[in-house]
Amino acid sequence: MEPLLHSTSLVQRAYWLVRLRWIAIAVLGIATFTASKIFHVSLPAQKLYLMAGVLILYNFLLFDLLNYFTWGGKSPSHKTISRIITFQISADLFILTVILHYSGGIENPFFLYFVFHMIIASILLTPWQSYLQATLALLLFGLTVLLEYQGTIPHYKLTGFIRHELYCDSLFVFVTFGVLSTTLYLVVYMTTSISAQLRERQEDYEIANFQLKEKDRLKNEYVLRLTHDIRGHLAAIISCLNIVSDRIVGQLNEKQADLVERASRRTSKCMAFVTALLKLTRMKISGHVDMSYFPLKNVFFDTIAAVENKAAAKSIDLNYEIEPSIDEVYGEPILIEESITNMLLNAIKYTPEKGEVSLFAKDKGDHILIQVCDTGMGIPVNEINKIFNEFFRASNARKVERDGTGLGLSIVKQITEMHGGKIWAENNPTGGSTFSFTLPKTSAKYNTN
Amino acid sequence: MGQIKILIVDDDPDITEAMKIVLENQGYIVDNAIDSSEGLERIKASMPDLIILDVMMNTLSEGFLLSRELRKNPEYKNIPILMVTSVKQQTGIDFETAAGDETWLPVDGFLNKPVKPEVLLEKVKSLLHES
Repeated sequence: MEPLLHSTSLVQRAYWLVRLRWIAIAVLGIATFTASKIFHVSLPAQKLYLMAGVLILYNFLLFDLLNYFTWGGKSPSHKTISRIITFQISADLFILTVILHYSGGIENPFFLYFVFHMIIASILLTPWQSYLQATLALLLFGLTVLLEYQGTIPHYKLTGFIRHELYCDSLFVFVTFGVLSTTLYLVVYMTTSISAQLRERQEDYEIANFQLKEKDRLKNEYVLRLTHDIRGHLAAIISCLNIVSDRIVGQLNEKQADLVERASRRTSKCMAFVTALLKLTRMKISGHVDMSYFPLKNVFFDTIAAVENKAAAKSIDLNYEIEPSIDEVYGEPILIEESITNMLLNAIKYTPEKGEVSLFAKDKGDHILIQVCDTGMGIPVNEINKIFNEFFRASNARKVERDGTGLGLSIVKQITEMHGGKIWAENNPTGGSTFSFTLPKTSAKYNTN
Repeated sequence: MGQIKILIVDDDPDITEAMKIVLENQGYIVDNAIDSSEGLERIKASMPDLIILDVMMNTLSEGFLLSRELRKNPEYKNIPILMVTSVKQQTGIDFETAAGDETWLPVDGFLNKPVKPEVLLEKVKSLLHES
């Protein structure tokens, strides 16, 4: 059976074990100190501190080993990382046994800590490897207990904690060890069963996810083909209509001119829709953008220039501000410009006359925040999460502008996600709404597929 | 300007007809071809003063290939080429800035379909140095 986790998450778990070990070392140090100095339990404290020292050294070495295997973004093979984890758990079992030997053997209730190792093994390793680890733990600890019982190796008494010498009480040793054995095997059994269930579910999700992506890809290719074909026909229709409406082939009477005008208008709207859908689908299929550093200021100038006539037509006050610390940003300038222009046009469209539309760029440390604020109609609260969905149009927006593609903000969202940024909308407390998107400062590898 | 000859190479008969009407209305003599091989024949036969070229015909890049072929031929390399296409939406190539790149897109002008009559005429006139 495959282990629960994939190589990359297994690597993370290997590091997790190293971090857990630092805690265990701290617990060992504190427990030794508390027992010997506060409760005056007789302990070979020096030996235990030495063990803590060995553990620290061992943990540093493991940390280096993991860094070696993952250096420069390398991903070690599943086998390698699984071996490292097996080695770590086995070594931990050995070290725990030695520590227990120096601190009372079977009389030390810390032997319960073997349970932790079993849980970790059951999560990270295959079931039979986990049962082997349980057997190793019992062999190591059982041997120590047996040798102490026989007097082959010394027994370190926990005077001050245990009043009677239990390590040589055969019934106590037998029962305690028996309980520990069943506990460890049961823990492995239960944890591996749960892991198996999780693994099955994870596989189901992965298969479902793969199928969804595949269907989405097919859908995109279908849409691309379809929209491209429709666009070709529309281009021909518009070309012919233009000639008639431009009176190139003769004069029209009033009724004819009106009908041709209606047909042209509808065809143009259809063309705008198909063009937007084509653009969105093409971005989804390609899934990546060629990014470079470019001055954000230039893009702001261009976007403002592109929309200022529309703003002026509605006497809308259009202004912008870039925080001085922002110079160059990382992205695809044409797409970023399109995003901002789309957001500005949207804001202008849904802001009443004499309103205000502002464009901001703010430096937020690891990312740039770009915002478009307006004094428009705002977004109905229950629709705010759907506003970026394809073909979705807010109910109040539909009333103002009957024909819209419902794709403008989807395109902005797609562009933002291709840049590894986030996008959201919110209503301003004073009315109107703010649309924001972020651009990570570092180069973000991003794949929408 | 009655004798100026324009060749339209486009596989869409309706778009060809529409452009033909616009151009003939201005007195140009317009010929047309439905693919690059027919286009080449017409060019050889009548030496047009301007070629209006579609990109996607039988293949996705037929127009590109024809434009490059014409540029290689000393006889035809001075004929201005106006590329008219809707391919931008599908490929994402920025033709407006690429047009004029002699190795990549050796055309003299680029217009996106559908072309408005006045835009087409303006472009044609400028390529023929009439404006």
